[in-house]
Amino acid sequence: MPTRRLLIGAVPLLFATAGCSSADLFAGPDPLHGPPSLAPETVVLSAAITAEERLVALYRSVLAGRAAGRTTTLLTSLLSQHEAHLTQLKARLVVPPGYHASPSASASASAGAASAVARLRAAEQASAAALTRQLTGVSPALAQLFASIAASDATHATALAAL
Amino acid sequence: MSGSASGPLGGVDALERALAAENAAIFGYGVAGAHLSGASRATAVQYWTGHRQARDTLTGMITARGGTPAAAAAYYRLPFAVNSAGAGMALAARLEDGVTAAYLDLVAVADVQLRTFGALAMQSAAGRAAYWRGATEPFPGLP
Repeated sequence: MPTRRLLIGAVPLLFATAGCSSADLFAGPDPLHGPPSLAPETVVLSAAITAEERLVALYRSVLAGRAAGRTTTLLTSLLSQHEAHLTQLKARLVVPPGYHASPSASASASAGAASAVARLRAAEQASAAALTRQLTGVSPALAQLFASIAASDATHATALAAL
Repeated sequence: MSGSASGPLGGVDALERALAAENAAIFGYGVAGAHLSGASRATAVQYWTGHRQARDTLTGMITARGGTPAAAAAYYRLPFAVNSAGAGMALAARLEDGVTAAYLDLVAVADVQLRTFGALAMQSAAGRAAYWRGATEPFPGLP
């Protein structure tokens, strides 16, 4: 009658002699090789969230310490719309256990007011262009959200140009 | 929040929907423009011309895909009475909202080129809507 210790010790030997791996014994992803790779759409969505977080951080940086005025009113309004974008994007993200969310973005805009607005405008234009490029390979629903946010960003760039 | 409630359309169907929205805009700008003057009227004429060009582009795209472009209606029911400059601008904004929403359907089709075409058209229409409204929207085209 083999002891329990002997049986436990024999398990790896059994696997080795049978040519088995853990993947042969478990249905689904191999737990010994880490979490499964992220779906392409999740990768694209995560990148869009990171970009949106950078925009939000940039707006907050520009707004920090600014006195009330026409420019501040507009920037505050645009910031709130970017925060709404971020909320919607994050609502679509499903990350499997074992992954960590990307660290919060930070940005600084210590330059003068005029160049800070120009930087925001450039960032809005870049965001609209990037989201438009990312329409391929994503679901229809996510493509529509990207396109809507890109359209919003394009209008932001126009509004900033009018300042 | 989601896109078209009826689900993704085929390419030609989505183009037809965009064409219908452009035809409605062409008609509506005729009404709105009659109550505008100065720079606003000039902008309305510019946008009206743009919608006519978009109509022709969409007509060609539908035909190239084997479809039959629907003709414009003789009359479109307006969403509200237009008897002032303010109402004219509000109508123009509403028309652009409709165009933006129509192009959103194109973004949901499988054809990548149509998706990009629709997204760029949305950006133009949302910009025109923002001009008339005097404010931007967080989610142009989405319900």
